[in-house]
Amino acid sequence: MSTTEMDPVFTAALREVLVATVEDTQRVRRRWRWRLRAGVFVGLTLVGGGVALAAGVFSLPGAPIDTPLGNVVTAARTGTATIDLGPPPAGATDLSLTLTCLSVGTFDFPNGSSVNCSAADIGQPPVARQASEVVPLNPGVDSVTIKTSASATWTLQAQYVNRVTTHWRINASGQTYGVQNQNGTPDLMAVVVDQGKTQGYIETSELNCASGGDVKSPAQALAWDTQNRNISIPVYESDGTTVIGTFVLGDATGPNAQTVPLSSLSLGC
Amino acid sequence: MNGFARIAPRLHIWSAVFPPTLRDEALWVRSFDSWTYVTLAPVRTLLVVRSNEDAPAAWAAALDNDGVAFAAIFDLHRDRVYRHALRMTSNVHDAEDVTAATFLELWRRRSSVRVVDGSVLPWLLVTTTNLARNLVRGLRRYRALITTLPRCEGARSAEDVALDRIEEMRIATQVREALVTLSPSDAALITLSMFEHYSPGQAAAALGISDGAARTRLHRARTRMATALGAFSTAAGDDTTKEKSR
Repeated sequence: MSTTEMDPVFTAALREVLVATVEDTQRVRRRWRWRLRAGVFVGLTLVGGGVALAAGVFSLPGAPIDTPLGNVVTAARTGTATIDLGPPPAGATDLSLTLTCLSVGTFDFPNGSSVNCSAADIGQPPVARQASEVVPLNPGVDSVTIKTSASATWTLQAQYVNRVTTHWRINASGQTYGVQNQNGTPDLMAVVVDQGKTQGYIETSELNCASGGDVKSPAQALAWDTQNRNISIPVYESDGTTVIGTFVLGDATGPNAQTVPLSSLSLGC
Repeated sequence: MNGFARIAPRLHIWSAVFPPTLRDEALWVRSFDSWTYVTLAPVRTLLVVRSNEDAPAAWAAALDNDGVAFAAIFDLHRDRVYRHALRMTSNVHDAEDVTAATFLELWRRRSSVRVVDGSVLPWLLVTTTNLARNLVRGLRRYRALITTLPRCEGARSAEDVALDRIEEMRIATQVREALVTLSPSDAALITLSMFEHYSPGQAAAALGISDGAARTRLHRARTRMATALGAFSTAAGDDTTKEKSR
């Protein structure tokens, strides 16, 4: 071992301490950060009471972390086209794609998700017309295809990334909590509600129940019928017991719309 | 499924409008049936910090409480900080401890760190010098934490280093003792300009003094260093002479 290099074990441990120190400071400031972001979510929660989220800047458990590798490949095309990306660098696991629509159309990513651009969207700044996806790499494939109509114009930024998925955490009751990822869904799923002011967790079982996933009989189906009605479920702290808000499912709006708690319904779950 | 199985919704994904550094971090899914909810969401894209050119963005992200960005700064500068700490302490353990304390100080004092040409490295080197000048006092705040950090089995001892690089260690000892004879700010000037090859202007920016003042004080500090090192050389020479005369 060279004396001009730090002990690798000490270095790795110190690195973790530094990350934890910075992240711990972040927790103290989190409430402020949520308020800052409230505006982002306002327009997106018109029909629901909240949005579920995962990690990222909030470093929620279970979130994927992507490390970019190599250069960004940028291309502009019209219609369905395949972009050659060159061979993937060592360690690449996924491909990060950011599509910017330049005309009205529907643009399909390789993983099946898509983005619609309306005439109103086209008048927005580029950042408001972008959609991003991270898709797994297929062995031997070093290109990406975007499908769209023949006249639709778009640009794509693509970069190989190394994706690592962090672990969910477990609370005192033994429930996993965090965000959905390719390993599945934790017992408590991270959400943001109250127009971005509150971040907490909903029970996945309650979400499934409220969204009709557990309906097993005609009576339960009638009870679940969501015409002109929304269903609310509690939002908890990560302990899974302290209620800090409600998460509303449904798109009922207007004067006759109601919101009822899940606990008031007989859905058999 | 009793005929009541829920029809799998078609999913549609939007991306949120975030500042560029945060882009890609919020995806959510809305189904085309009556529900708006969840699923995949923010993904964190790490800042890639490969050179000093990337350092300003990393520091900005770190100040925004991005722990990974702060770790990237650590990765970028740790070798240089460690080598300077080794120069100042002649002991691998002490040098590692000083390096750890230096980066912990970088976070604690982040609001007052002087950034020179987009880099916090000059500040780190000056802090390394100050901490190493008085190990006991400098590391007191972090001693308990640093003690808990694991080290390699059979980690190198100070004796190993001494045997390995005996001449370098002798010079390092003399340099360190010469630096101790200077004021902290003069020692910092010497560190940046003589050891780390920063220009007087950059050293001045790192210390928050004028260019002219830096040049004047640097000239004075060099003279004092030369005097101190000369005294060591003379003393060493005397010792050698004595050895030969025996």
